[in-house]
Amino acid sequence: MSTSALGLGLAGTIALLTTLAVLVIPFRLRPTISGAGTALVGTAGLAAGAAALAGQSFTLPLPSLLPLSGLSFAVDPLSGVFIAVTGAVAVAAGIYAIGYTSHSGTSRAAAAVLPLFVASLLAVPAAASVATLLACWELMALTSLLLVLTEHKQRPEVAEAGLWYAVMTHLGLVCLLGGLMIFTAHAGGDSFAALAAAAPELSPALKGAVFVLALAGFGSKAGMVPLHAWLPRAHPEAPSHVSALMSAAMVNLGIYGIIRVGFGLLGGGSTWWWLLVIGLGAASAVYGILQAAMSTDLKRLLGYSTTENMGLILVGVGAAGLFASAHHPELAELALAAALLHVANHAGFKTLLFLAAGSVLHATGTRDLDSLGGLRSAMPATTLAFGWGGLAASALPPGTAFVSEWLLVQALIHGLHGATTATAVTLPLAVSAVALTAGLAVATFVKAFGTGFLAKPRTADAAAARESPATMLAGMGLAGAACAALALVPGALLPAIGRAVAAAGWPGPVIRYGTNGLVTIRLAGLAGEVSPLLLTLGLVIVMVATAAWLRALPARRAQGARRRARLWDCGGGPLTARMEYTATSFAEPLQRVFDDVVAPETRLDVTHLDEARYLVAAIEYRAQVPDRIERRLYQPILSAVAAWGSAARWLAPGSVHRYLGYGFYTVTAVLIILTVTR
Amino acid sequence: MLRLWRMIRGTGRIAEPSPPRPARAAAPRGDTDGNVGATMRALRGSVQIRHVDAGSCNGCEVEIGAAFGPVYDAERYGARLVASPRHADALIVTGVVTRNMAEPLRRTHAAIPAPKLVVAIGDCARNCGVFADAYGVAGAAGDIVPVDAEVPGCPPRPEAIVAALRELTGR
Repeated sequence: MSTSALGLGLAGTIALLTTLAVLVIPFRLRPTISGAGTALVGTAGLAAGAAALAGQSFTLPLPSLLPLSGLSFAVDPLSGVFIAVTGAVAVAAGIYAIGYTSHSGTSRAAAAVLPLFVASLLAVPAAASVATLLACWELMALTSLLLVLTEHKQRPEVAEAGLWYAVMTHLGLVCLLGGLMIFTAHAGGDSFAALAAAAPELSPALKGAVFVLALAGFGSKAGMVPLHAWLPRAHPEAPSHVSALMSAAMVNLGIYGIIRVGFGLLGGGSTWWWLLVIGLGAASAVYGILQAAMSTDLKRLLGYSTTENMGLILVGVGAAGLFASAHHPELAELALAAALLHVANHAGFKTLLFLAAGSVLHATGTRDLDSLGGLRSAMPATTLAFGWGGLAASALPPGTAFVSEWLLVQALIHGLHGATTATAVTLPLAVSAVALTAGLAVATFVKAFGTGFLAKPRTADAAAARESPATMLAGMGLAGAACAALALVPGALLPAIGRAVAAAGWPGPVIRYGTNGLVTIRLAGLAGEVSPLLLTLGLVIVMVATAAWLRALPARRAQGARRRARLWDCGGGPLTARMEYTATSFAEPLQRVFDDVVAPETRLDVTHLDEARYLVAAIEYRAQVPDRIERRLYQPILSAVAAWGSAARWLAPGSVHRYLGYGFYTVTAVLIILTVTR
Repeated sequence: MLRLWRMIRGTGRIAEPSPPRPARAAAPRGDTDGNVGATMRALRGSVQIRHVDAGSCNGCEVEIGAAFGPVYDAERYGARLVASPRHADALIVTGVVTRNMAEPLRRTHAAIPAPKLVVAIGDCARNCGVFADAYGVAGAAGDIVPVDAEVPGCPPRPEAIVAALRELTGR
């Protein structure tokens, strides 16, 4: 039995045992057991994923475990990437959960479901048949829904977020079910091997329909625009370690599904599929980061940032498909490698950011950036964690996102050589979308870090913040260390990613895709190389040298002495927290620039005195940036459904006579129709 | 747009011809950093100025505005108004220093990096002018911060302000 099978089996066993243990043990021990069990499940998953990446594949049919179809599992390097990432996130989140839940308290159900959720996350990429995939997918959806609802007694918004999540995730499931069932029906078997073998004989229209349905189903889980509406609601309302698991591990599985179905099962397909994926990905990236830049809720901001990063990954996946269908295998592999590397990078920094945001929430009781501030002195470790995570998310060296976005841009730029019209139009647009996204991400995280952690505390709660317990810091520390490793030596991970890319399986020859080198990543066959480690070293040297030079400067001046001066506050009284930039005011110029896109709503109510119109009694100003897609796309549908519901109520007034009448007339009508048509 | 272009061409240059460089006068009053001449040499003909209205009737402000306007154009001699004392080399004070503005004036002076110069513009800033001994007056500019140069007049003419600034820039 291979290590990966052993690891996955161990993960499942530990998860079940932890769940059973949590159900019986007393209240005090619950957070520790649940968190430690989750971390162990994650460790086992990480080991399994690493083994799979190292090339230890396995297939395990379990025909008797589920009635009718049975379960069947198989792991290849592509699954390995997602299993390893999920496992690593679960280790950090599990350790963090010990401290987080022992303070805020957790329900028995939430503590029991946490390890099961992680186990289901590990099982989805290991599924080797449609029935297994759907069963694990649904287990994942239900367990995560329970976890989202953990704090429903404390805050009424949680229930609403849970409702959105439940409905959207099941609509996604319906799409998946539809798409994969059509596929299975035409393939004559529900194992992935049978599907992949049958795919070349299917008609292009059928394959297109399957792909679009799968894209909708998996894309909604990945937070792809316009199916993202649940994500910025559910992720903030969940407890922070669950947010981290959802945002860093669960959404990835949507990407996994698209890669698996698009490349592995359908075998590439038409160009328009991938143009669609690139378009939706670019829209998600730009829209997500724009909403994140406007957001003042720390965790909502991170949720939108997840949509953004999934968008970037989708651009990579779409570009890979486009290049594969245009017979540029080396570029396709590079683009898919960039996407997979970004999956790992995003998981690293998003875990770190959500855990740090949870630490802030734990210490201050608020997620509103406009009422935070000044956490630097009270919570230095959390501030460091969020700062490092923000840097990683900003696509600037020495951040992790820099390497993967650089690879992505390289792939997109080199694709222009010998391109068709569609490609020649799409690729520059995709490059500009990636560039715009990177710029806005910097603004977003400068805002989040600057207004949330630096400056003066804006409220008493923020001023009274205390550093979080050691287990929470340990969770953040692990995530931070993973980010550092990914940022500085991504070359160590690239060979494994290369095996995963080879396992994705599109038609055509599999070239060892063109990156090599541990310290310096060189693109074989393309002009381009980057060395994150040397770049970081150079940056550190320049910063230290500049600081030393500035320190030495006054001593060399003729005038000599360094003078201590008061902070310039325009000569008036001391600066107060009210004078600081808030998150809203920091984002205001951006909001003005993108006025037509985000459509902010402002309301100004002026109340006049009764005696005279010219005298004002009160002015009320409200500004908010609603999710425009939600407003324009979902609201009409929701109101239409509500109107249908009200209209249908007329049919059901509660009179038994009428219901009997319905039955009678329906049966009569059916009989008449049968008589006439026979 | 075309109209604007035509107007620019039709109007032409309206700045007055530059009067001859004033003979360097001795430093009129107190010396902050040992020696005004040394400060002026350190500034090398480029003086960034922060203006503080310590309690003026705004007559002097109108004239300062005129001095930096297109007609007198003080900027061609190297003097320039800036928005923060942190960017400034010189402080110009107008108006009698009121009680509320005494501390902000001190702080503004302290906020200017050395070497620095202070110019009192108008009679109020020089010696309280018509507001001497009035309620709420803390004193002339020289009573609060060390003044290096003065421009008399109520209000002083823009030419006088420009001449004083040219003495500082030496251009």
